[in-house]
Amino acid sequence: MPRLVNIRRSVFEEDRRNAEAVREELGRRGVLLVNLIGSPGAGKTTLLEATLRKNTERPETRRFRCAVIEGDVATSRDAERIAALGVPSVQINTEGGCHLEAHLVRKALGALPLGEVDLLFVENVGNLVCPAEFDLGEDFKVAVSSVPEGDDKPLKYPHLFHLVRAVILTKTDLAPYVRFSPERFWGDVENLNPSARRFLVDSIQGDGLEEWLSGLDEWLEEKRRR
Amino acid sequence: MHELSLVEALCKELLQQGQEQGWARVTRIALRVGEMRQVVPDVLLFCFDVASKGTILEGAVLDIVPVPLLWTCRECGNVWPGDAACALCPNCGAVRTELQEGAELEIDFVEVEDFGESPEEATKECRSCQDW
Repeated sequence: MPRLVNIRRSVFEEDRRNAEAVREELGRRGVLLVNLIGSPGAGKTTLLEATLRKNTERPETRRFRCAVIEGDVATSRDAERIAALGVPSVQINTEGGCHLEAHLVRKALGALPLGEVDLLFVENVGNLVCPAEFDLGEDFKVAVSSVPEGDDKPLKYPHLFHLVRAVILTKTDLAPYVRFSPERFWGDVENLNPSARRFLVDSIQGDGLEEWLSGLDEWLEEKRRR
Repeated sequence: MHELSLVEALCKELLQQGQEQGWARVTRIALRVGEMRQVVPDVLLFCFDVASKGTILEGAVLDIVPVPLLWTCRECGNVWPGDAACALCPNCGAVRTELQEGAELEIDFVEVEDFGESPEEATKECRSCQDW
């Protein structure tokens, strides 16, 4: 006869253990881990490049020491773009996998000079669905959505937009050329996640980057105060 | 197709438990799935069929138990069932609200068969220990 076994356990139990290990290590070292999630082509890598460049223009006392973990299905192009800026980076290839998982991030930490890092970005695989499901041990997730993708993304992908601490709207310079209603986009964000911080960024011209960096200042300070 | 990612995590978790606890076969899985997860049940079932092939999970009935959304307001304590599109408290309009239920992806229970129960498993068991 079959017998009943109570489990009452998340499907992500193993993942949770790895995520906790990442969180514990980065907590001890005071490193802020930010998990960037957006569609392919939303401008995640370009946003990171612009953020890293803008960071080097800051006075030395206010400059973050950054590192990046790049997640892609294939190629090391993104990590090469980051490395070209002199920032330590690790590429994870998921070889078909549509998202990163905590054990991959945990392994990648070993390849980074964590003792000399304040801010660690993870650029997740381009996808608005699966990456939202997986805890990588990050301090928080950030949704990156671009103007040409349309104003309906928050409502179509509510799980992601509900989870994030911040929403970054990129490619704001394209607004005159596409049909995009900021009222609808931000209205839906407000309803799904009223406390999410909002940023408007044009990574090419540099608009909005200072606000984004100031947000990161606050979050890092808050983490280190704890 | 995030259903396949979810199913992979589900199978990994159960296969590990099965190995630790020596299950011969899993015949039923009760899975609580929160509405916020946007899981399409048919797709989940299809992925499960594919992913479970050749394992102790093959042929198990996957019961998907939907969990509707339930919000709580951290300002006024109001609790309300809602849809995914609005997290504002309908009572006081507060933004400090929490999703109390609806994000689950939890294995509630499983039905398992232990070794030695079905005739073919019994034979297998005895052959492996050679104590017939």
